[in-house]
Formats: sequence, structure tokens, C-alpha cells
Amino acid sequence: MSDLYSGTDLFSEFDRLQRQMESLFGGLPSSLRSSRFGAFPQINIGTTDDSIEIVVFAPGVDVGGLDVAIEKGLLTISGERKPAQGVAGDGTRTYAQERFTGTFRRAIELPQNADPDRVQARYTNGCLSISVGKRESSKPKSITVQ
Amino acid sequence: MNEKNQLAEREQNAIAARAGDQPTRRMTLTPAVDVFEDSQGITLWADLPGVTKEKLDVRVHDGNLYIEAEAVVPTPTGLRLQHAEIREPRFARTFSLSPDFDTSKIYANLQDGVLKLTLPRRVEARPRQIEVQTN
Repeated sequence: MSDLYSGTDLFSEFDRLQRQMESLFGGLPSSLRSSRFGAFPQINIGTTDDSIEIVVFAPGVDVGGLDVAIEKGLLTISGERKPAQGVAGDGTRTYAQERFTGTFRRAIELPQNADPDRVQARYTNGCLSISVGKRESSKPKSITVQ
Repeated sequence: MNEKNQLAEREQNAIAARAGDQPTRRMTLTPAVDVFEDSQGITLWADLPGVTKEKLDVRVHDGNLYIEAEAVVPTPTGLRLQHAEIREPRFARTFSLSPDFDTSKIYANLQDGVLKLTLPRRVEARPRQIEVQTN
């Protein structure tokens, strides 16, 4: 595939792969503030005529430790996920530890028409659903032709 | 374990192709897991965000442990997706089980999108300290 460059540079290969994955996964433009691919928690964003809907896939997170804040059009979600099993005692063997643990923080750039005063957040089944209202003036209107 | 998933998928594809259908491969996500073992058995934790008890299927068949789930996230009507890091709401992962687990005593608990499975070892398979007698 890359005759011109020797294939020994593993990291550039990873970069290339990541770019390919990005183009594969929709090719939607990503923000400068977006995190690397596969960051915890994963986020889906959609819009309706009235609101911006954000779903944060954050299973096993203590709601009390979840922090959702909006500042200057930037929505940040931060919190901590503690290890499922506390400090492993003697004789406990770990075979897999793929689940994320520790503190996390993700930022979402809200569009201009987002109304920071109309935000609802709800945590169910490990998903945090955030609904940000849109300002009235930005809602689609049908214009009567005179 | 991933290989197993892929194998199963390939077989389904083969059947679909023979039937002359479009190869409709059901894409699934591989949930992240933690696996710990102590003297009692194995504890497995799996991330299944958005999954409810009704949409979770945990079963043991032919010495394999199957975890299959579907996430249901309520969204308002007329939603247009703009950015998606989770594109498929289906999760699937398979593990092979060694015969020293007591499959009749597997316990599953789902809370906040995290599945906790405890697989106890058979009593005879647990480590035992043998007392040494002296005369």
C-alpha cells in the first residue's frame, strides 16, 4: 500500500488506520476539541427542531460524581469511574481489565443557537441523556410567500 | 474470543449468500470487560450502556458463555444524528468456559449499564488445604 515509505514506522501506520477508521465511521467533521477515537465515555449527538440531544455512554458511574457544566457555549461532562472490584486481595488474579477507570472529561461545542438556560440531564441504565434547548429565533419557520 | 464472534458471523454470511440474499451482517460491538478470579470463582464485569434487563441475554451453551444485549436509548422523534461514536446498539461477546465452573450457579446482576457475572467454581474444583496428620 505504501511503497514509497517503508512500513517500519508503526506509529504512522496507527495514525493512518485511525484516519481510515474516522472516514469509515461516517466522515462527520470532528471538532478541534474532540477527544481521540475511543475515549471514555463515548458520545452521540443529534438534533431535533427544538433541541440538541446528547447521549453519553457512561456505564457504572456514580451520579453524584457526574458533573455537567456549560460555559461559553462549551458543554463539559466530567466525572470519575471507580474500579469495579476494589483493591484486589491476595490470590485474586486479573485476566482482563479493559474497562475504563479513573477520571474523565469530555467537551462538546454547542452551536450558537443553544440555550444554556434550558438544559436537562438524566442518567438511566448507564447512559446520560442531556437535552439542550434551542432558542426560539433559531427554530425553523415556514415563510409565507406574499 | 473475538475470533469466535467472527467465525459465527462468517457462517451466517455464507448461509445468507447461498440463499441469494443481501449479506446482512449484524454488526455488534464488543463490550469491554474486567475478569477477576479468586478461590471461589470468576467475576466478570461488562460495560453495556443503555441495556435494560429485558434486552440482555446471558446464556451458557455447549461450554460457551454468551452475552448478547441491545441498548435502548429513548430519543425524541425527528432526531437527526450529527455525531456518533456508538453506531450499533447491539453488544455481543462469547467466552469459552472450562468445565470446573458450576454453570447452574451463575449469577448475573445488571446495574447502571454494567453487568456483573459471578461464575462459581465447582466445590470439588476449589482449592483445598489438606490437613496433615501427625501421630
